[in-house]
Amino acid sequence: MKKLSTWLSDTNDKPIAILAGQVISKRQFCTKVAAWQTRLPLVPKQKWAVYHNDAIEFLAILFALWHSKCMACIPSDNCEATVTRLSANVAGFIGEFSLVGDQASVWQLADGFDENSLAQPLWNTLEKSFPALEVYTSGSTGEPKPIIRTLEQIDHELASLELLWPLSASAMVLSTVTHQHLFGLTFRLFWPLVKGQIFQAKHCPFTEDIYHLATQCERFILISTPAHLKRLNDQLDWLGLAGKCEATISSAAPLKYEDSLYAAQLLNAPIFEIYGSSETGALAWRNQSKKDQDYWTLLPNVKLEATSTSGRFLAIGAHIAPEYQALSDNIEQIAEDRFYLRGRTDRIVKVEGKRLSLAKLEKCLEESEWVHTAKALVVVRKREEVAVVIELSNLGLSLLKQRSEKWLATQLKTQLKASFEPVLLPRRWRFVKALPYNQQGKLPMESLQTLFQPVQPKWPTELDRKHSNNHCEFTFHIPAELVYFEGHFDGNPILPGIAQTHWAQHYGRKVFAFSGKFVRLEAIKFQQIIFPDSEVTLKLEFLPKKNRLAFQYLSSKGVHSSGRICFE
Amino acid sequence: MANLQLELKEMIITALDLEDIEADEIDDAEPLFVEGLGLDSIDALEIGLALQKQYGIKLKADSKETHDHFASINALAALVESHRGTNS
Repeated sequence: MKKLSTWLSDTNDKPIAILAGQVISKRQFCTKVAAWQTRLPLVPKQKWAVYHNDAIEFLAILFALWHSKCMACIPSDNCEATVTRLSANVAGFIGEFSLVGDQASVWQLADGFDENSLAQPLWNTLEKSFPALEVYTSGSTGEPKPIIRTLEQIDHELASLELLWPLSASAMVLSTVTHQHLFGLTFRLFWPLVKGQIFQAKHCPFTEDIYHLATQCERFILISTPAHLKRLNDQLDWLGLAGKCEATISSAAPLKYEDSLYAAQLLNAPIFEIYGSSETGALAWRNQSKKDQDYWTLLPNVKLEATSTSGRFLAIGAHIAPEYQALSDNIEQIAEDRFYLRGRTDRIVKVEGKRLSLAKLEKCLEESEWVHTAKALVVVRKREEVAVVIELSNLGLSLLKQRSEKWLATQLKTQLKASFEPVLLPRRWRFVKALPYNQQGKLPMESLQTLFQPVQPKWPTELDRKHSNNHCEFTFHIPAELVYFEGHFDGNPILPGIAQTHWAQHYGRKVFAFSGKFVRLEAIKFQQIIFPDSEVTLKLEFLPKKNRLAFQYLSSKGVHSSGRICFE
Repeated sequence: MANLQLELKEMIITALDLEDIEADEIDDAEPLFVEGLGLDSIDALEIGLALQKQYGIKLKADSKETHDHFASINALAALVESHRGTNS
């Protein structure tokens, strides 16, 4: 395996990537590096911000910077607040940024720029120990914290990974993750590059994209995250890909055992998980092929050391700078090279694999003059999402009287958009008179969580509706979560007759627009039980002369119930 | 056609577990992502799955095209309609 520091100066020409179906050779790539070098006024020791969705352009910019001993600063997004935050510290912005006002300038290759008009320069071996890469992560104060890496550290990390998994270099690297963070950078770009393994330049967030590309190659390796793997589309013909996937590497957050099993079955390949952080790079791995294999094993050349004072652990390795050794996760060591993860030591959480400082979110909300106190938490309903509980200020309370909670939430959310990426924006908002502190003066997490329990539905899900004059036919799905199934009956849920008549009346009033008061029920028959998660048709007929509504619940099993509701 | 739009709105509200919003509050033409409804990248994955489950639609490999289909309720409705057209 080569090294990142010597890769450019190696004159061997070979394919490195696939971009839009075209093979990109090393020679073509180096021409791009030369083009960027010509375009950018680089002076050693400068720092430049880089954002580009095209992995080839992105890498070419990186090598152009490194060849001139400049640092590539890689923000995870290109939003306005990020640009503002960086503008005082960088020489310029390269790639896909849109700037406002008189912030530093954005550098791109000119349209129609002929890369082939450039002579290929002689490339030097890159200097190994200068600060080459700067990535950001949210620190416990909530401020984005810069983390600096040298090429030497990156090369040490890649060597450790290669020792651990000497996977074949012939499989194509596909990825659902971008390269604008450390995991993507290392696993989908740097490692394949030094290994001589072809990678797809495009990142594919959708399963369908991955599937489509996978059908076109002999073998592939998938770089992904729990957020993507647990949502793999099981309707695709994965059997048709059997034997093609060599391995899947997942990081960003621990994968649940069930999700690991699900992905391993569909892809017919082992799912390797990586534990690490932006500060440390990759540290450990696991493969949960059995239920009790949820412990982590250290990478070759990485050691754990308990600190004598704080109980925190240090991760020691050639690719980890001394200032980043202290881990922010609680570690339970079970052998020299094995451990369990037991939560964070600070208020940093992962939401669908993205790191969020709850403290920063609360601080940002409390900057609004409408907010007195804000508490943020992660709730898990159908997905992991951010929720906030807010005690309004007097100004906020008077606004609430004129407007609505929804309006307030929308305004506050808009203010947060500049500083948080979309996945980290709160999706559930609760405005309370007073936060639920207990008698000990603590704010128990459970009492905040209860504010976000899902409201059980009272209505069926309408799948179809056919309406003509005094007839209407609905197709309903009967959700298993219906409030009416609770206790009716324990272990044997069935839809109560009273709910069925209530729905008939509700939907009847909705479509036929009559207003008379309920008088009585007539000819009511309950013939067959309606079970959770079934599909039924409700046939309604309004008899205007008699002011009656006839109803019938039907399915492939026949008639479930029928009757007439009489109105005044 | 208007029924299909309503159906898609119900699908999105259920699949994404949205609260404080009724189907008729969603504008057929407003953007679903970032602006408008303000959905995110995880929502896009969930909508992709829901489309497959409810309408048997497999998204094309071209992310740009997928991006266009997900622009609004009207764009999603057009996708479902064209899928019905090719399969009937």
